[in-house]
Order: sequence, then C-alpha cells, then structure tokens
Amino acid sequence: MININDEILNKYLDDDLSADEKLKVKTAIENSSELQKKYDALLKTNNLLKNMEPDSPSLDFSKLVMNKINIKTSTARQQKYFLVTMLSFLGLIALGITGYLLFQILSSVQASETNEVVTTYSKNIGDYLSSMFGKQNISIFGSILSFVILVSAYFLYEYQKQSKKIFSN
Amino acid sequence: MKNLTDAEIIESVKKGNVADYSVLIDRHKDKSFSMLKRMLKNEMDAEEVLMDCFLKAYNNLSSFKFDSKFSTWFYRIVYNTALTKLSSAKRKIENEMVSVDDLHLLKSKYEADVLINDDAAVLVQKIVNELPSKNAAVISMFYLEEMATEEISEVLKISVSNVKVILHRSRNLLREIIEKRNLLQDVL
Repeated sequence: MININDEILNKYLDDDLSADEKLKVKTAIENSSELQKKYDALLKTNNLLKNMEPDSPSLDFSKLVMNKINIKTSTARQQKYFLVTMLSFLGLIALGITGYLLFQILSSVQASETNEVVTTYSKNIGDYLSSMFGKQNISIFGSILSFVILVSAYFLYEYQKQSKKIFSN
Repeated sequence: MKNLTDAEIIESVKKGNVADYSVLIDRHKDKSFSMLKRMLKNEMDAEEVLMDCFLKAYNNLSSFKFDSKFSTWFYRIVYNTALTKLSSAKRKIENEMVSVDDLHLLKSKYEADVLINDDAAVLVQKIVNELPSKNAAVISMFYLEEMATEEISEVLKISVSNVKVILHRSRNLLREIIEKRNLLQDVL
C-alpha cells in the first residue's frame, strides 16, 4: 500500500512516477474524497502558476542595452585602430634600426664575389639609413620618437580613463 | 529574424551583426526580469542587474559553445549576478536547502491576514513575489521559462532532487494558502 503524501501528489502531478505507482495513486485519489480534494487544489494551484504573466522592464530597456553595447563596440574598434597605428609606427622604426645594424655588420665583413651584388644594394640602403640615423640626425629622431611616445601614452591613458567612465555609467 | 532560433541569432551576432542581439534581448528580457524582480524584491535593482547580465552575456558570447541552450547559459549568468547583488547588499542568501522558516512565515501571514481580498490569481502573484530568492527563481524558471528540472539544476548548481523539493514546497505552500482562504472555487 502506497502512502500518498504531498510529495507523491506533486510527483503524480509532474508525471514523475513509474506506471505502477501512477496507477496506485490514481486509484487512491478516486477512492478518497479527501485525497481528491487535495489533488484538485494542487492542480488548480499549478494552473494558476502556469497562467502567471511575466513582468516587463522599462519600455526602452532593449534600446538602452544596445546603446551601451554600441558604445563599447565603437570604443573597442577605435582602441584597436589606435593600437595598430602605434605598433606600425614602432615597427617601422624598428625596421630602420635593424637595416642600419645590418649595414654595419655587412660593411665590416670583407665583400666576396658571391655577395657583391647584395652588398652593393645593402650599402646603398645602409648609406641612406646611416645618413638618416647619423650623428647629426639621431638626436633629432630620438627626440621626435620620445615626444611621439609620450604624447601617445598620454592620449592612451586619457582614452582608457574615458572608456572606464562610459562603462561605469 | 524573429523566427530564428537563439543559436542562429548568436551565430549572426558572432559574425558581426551586433544589432541582432536586440532580438535575443527582446526574447528573454521579460521572463528573466520577472525572476530577478522576485529574487531581489526590487524593480529598479532587477532592471539594473538585468542590463548588467545582457552586457555580460554579450561580452562572453564568444565563449558560448552551444553545449547547452542559450536560456540555460543566460539564466546561470542572471542567477549568479542576482546572488552577487544580494550578497553585496548584505541581504540574506538562502542555504542550499529551502529555508523552511521563511515559508512558514509567509504561510501564516497570508492565511491570517483578513484584510487581503485578492482573487486567487493576484494572491498567487503576490506570494510568489515574496518567496525566498531560491524558491522564486525555481518557480520563475519552471513556470515562466518552462525549463525542465534538469536545466534548473544546471542553472542553480544543485541536484535535480533539490530542485524538486524546492518546487514542491513552494507549490504546497500556495495550495495550502489558497485552500485556507477558500479561493479554489474561483479557479477553473
């Protein structure tokens, strides 16, 4: 004999019993007016819960969320472009320095027949780079580079500050 | 767009169609807002937390691997963010099991109050709004979102049997109050 408590009635309602148990509960409900009343109440409560209407946030909620996402996306894109520009600039400078160093190495080695052509070309590039990064220009380049890095760092810092402010709002 | 599944919309958003995310928001905002409102017991907090949840979900969309339904994944974010909000406000968080005392208090309040003249449907809404956070979350997910107990257990990170215990206790509480107040004849 199965003991029909609230737990079993809930399981019966949720169709969470085995076929054998279901049959026993069904029979018990049919034979007991008290159980029938209890099950009926549970069924009606279940229907009330099923018919509950969801609440809604403010009307412009979706728009507000999308605005925040759009601000975030555009800021991220701008930051990406800024970073790419800075990296390209630094990359070009690194390339120039590498070329200069390469020329210094090549010019210190005795030119052989096999690398004569390469040496000629690299000598020309080297001459150009050495004139560019020569004693006279290197201090100017260094100053410009330092200035650019300082200005970029300042703007990057300001940008990060602004982004944080936007997202915290 | 409205006929697309959540997974198809996510794919579209991942491809760069950011505007499609608004379809997901429109689809899930009401039910998740209802759950948050019942958990936090405050409409403004619920809206603020929900906005945070949609932004979190968007930021982590690339990590969504379609192993589960979007709703399960999203409700996990909603539930955890709500718990964080509750703990940050130093409010009470229920233990792993149902806080039976709170249910008893609620039961005695609604059974005894002679000033309440609401019909059964309104009364149910009121009681659900006052349920302890975890019970309110389970009821919202089960009845509003029509999630299976297995999905709810995944969201709450508790066993399926615990989900059922919470669900049955909440349902029994409502049944007992409605029975006591003789409101059953109103219900079809």
